[in-house]
Amino acid sequence: MNLMPKSPSRFFSGLRGIAIVALLIVSSFNLRGADTPVQVQLDLKKAGPRAVESLTEKGILRDYRLAWTSMAQALEFNTPDPLEGPFAGEAKQQLLQTVARQQHSGLSQRYGDQYHRLVAVFYAPEGDVMELHDTAEYQLQVSDGGKIIHDEHVVIHYVVLMTPGADRWVIRQLQAVPQF
Amino acid sequence: MHRTVLICAALGLAGGSVSLCSAQDFRVPASAVAGVEASIPTTGRGKATFYLLGPGVSLKSDVNLGEEVHLHSQDLRYAGSYLALVCSSSCKNARFYVTEAKPASLTFLVHPSRVPVSQSDAVSGVALAFDKFHNEVLTPVAVNFQLTAGTASLFSRQVRTQDGVAWFRTASGKSAGGLQVVASLDDLSARRAVQQVASEPCNLRIEGQRTAIGIAVETEPVHDCAGNVVPDGTIVTFTATEGNSRSTVDAPIKKGIARAQISGPGEASISVASGVVMGNELRIGAKP
Repeated sequence: MNLMPKSPSRFFSGLRGIAIVALLIVSSFNLRGADTPVQVQLDLKKAGPRAVESLTEKGILRDYRLAWTSMAQALEFNTPDPLEGPFAGEAKQQLLQTVARQQHSGLSQRYGDQYHRLVAVFYAPEGDVMELHDTAEYQLQVSDGGKIIHDEHVVIHYVVLMTPGADRWVIRQLQAVPQF
Repeated sequence: MHRTVLICAALGLAGGSVSLCSAQDFRVPASAVAGVEASIPTTGRGKATFYLLGPGVSLKSDVNLGEEVHLHSQDLRYAGSYLALVCSSSCKNARFYVTEAKPASLTFLVHPSRVPVSQSDAVSGVALAFDKFHNEVLTPVAVNFQLTAGTASLFSRQVRTQDGVAWFRTASGKSAGGLQVVASLDDLSARRAVQQVASEPCNLRIEGQRTAIGIAVETEPVHDCAGNVVPDGTIVTFTATEGNSRSTVDAPIKKGIARAQISGPGEASISVASGVVMGNELRIGAKP
């Protein structure tokens, strides 16, 4: 039985199709973590001295989720672009530095299946700064040149400072601590 | 010290099975301080790859097992969680935390920049301490807040930071003028200025007389209830009622007095107001 196609061009065309499908499958695996929506839960019971308005609550939820989505993209694909907007000040500098160092070392990190339990612990009297505690759970994969060298489910506690910008809340400080 | 056990890998080599006992152990610092170098001792034999991932750092280097891995101070300048990996035949990991160094700067937010006198809870301030690498200092520290107007102390309080934050809220003073607001922590201090201005006018009174072209009215010097001169630019509204007609003039205070010229030949009743404060009413007779 002859398994070869009738013409070489059709054979190579078929191979190309298979390669594209394989590439898409591989890509979908690679993007699986990045595509998983970041889940954020916000507790305002401890916030004070200023009361948190409902619009502020929605803004914090929206912008914190966006910030972690952006950070995950930046650290997975080693590009600083997603960091423009959601981060400012020292948090942005740290992340930009991490991306630059990863580009140099050939490492990357993937933050998958993120779940954040946020507790607002301070909201300034004039509403110009909010401090939050985030108990973050995620699947952390570290890759060296595309090869996964570490895969771990982690729970990390972060102290977060957010300030209102022109159209969003931005993260100014993101500092991991052993415990609150 | 956290201890991580690395298991020996048995590899089949030509001529027989050889046990390559690579790394058995490496220890990450139990406590590390931002900007202070540290070391990670390893045990075992052979070569391995060492990785360090943390805030602002992504390191990869070849190491000899059995030797210490030196972590430079600039690689540990940010407080946070660090992941160390040692990979030979397999990878082992350990996590450690770097804590902030001692306070080196104060961020001090004060509101508002301009405040009426004698208002309760009108002035507030928030202080956050940071170390020289801009890590937030989360260890509780005592911050002193002081408010002074001229040489008079209006408010003084020591507040211990909670979650890295200390704050206050207090009333504004009784006199218009500059208010110095200072937050200090050991030898660090941050100074802000708040301008205290007169509050709403008090006892607003006007006087007027008929002139050749109408009625000239002006206020007496406008003060608030504490005697502070109401600032220039504050709007005073004069309303003249003449029979069934009514006219209004808004005039800004200049050097403590607001003036207006109202046209109309008949007898007029003139009232004055500024904000929510009403003044006296004046009756001016008709033009002779």
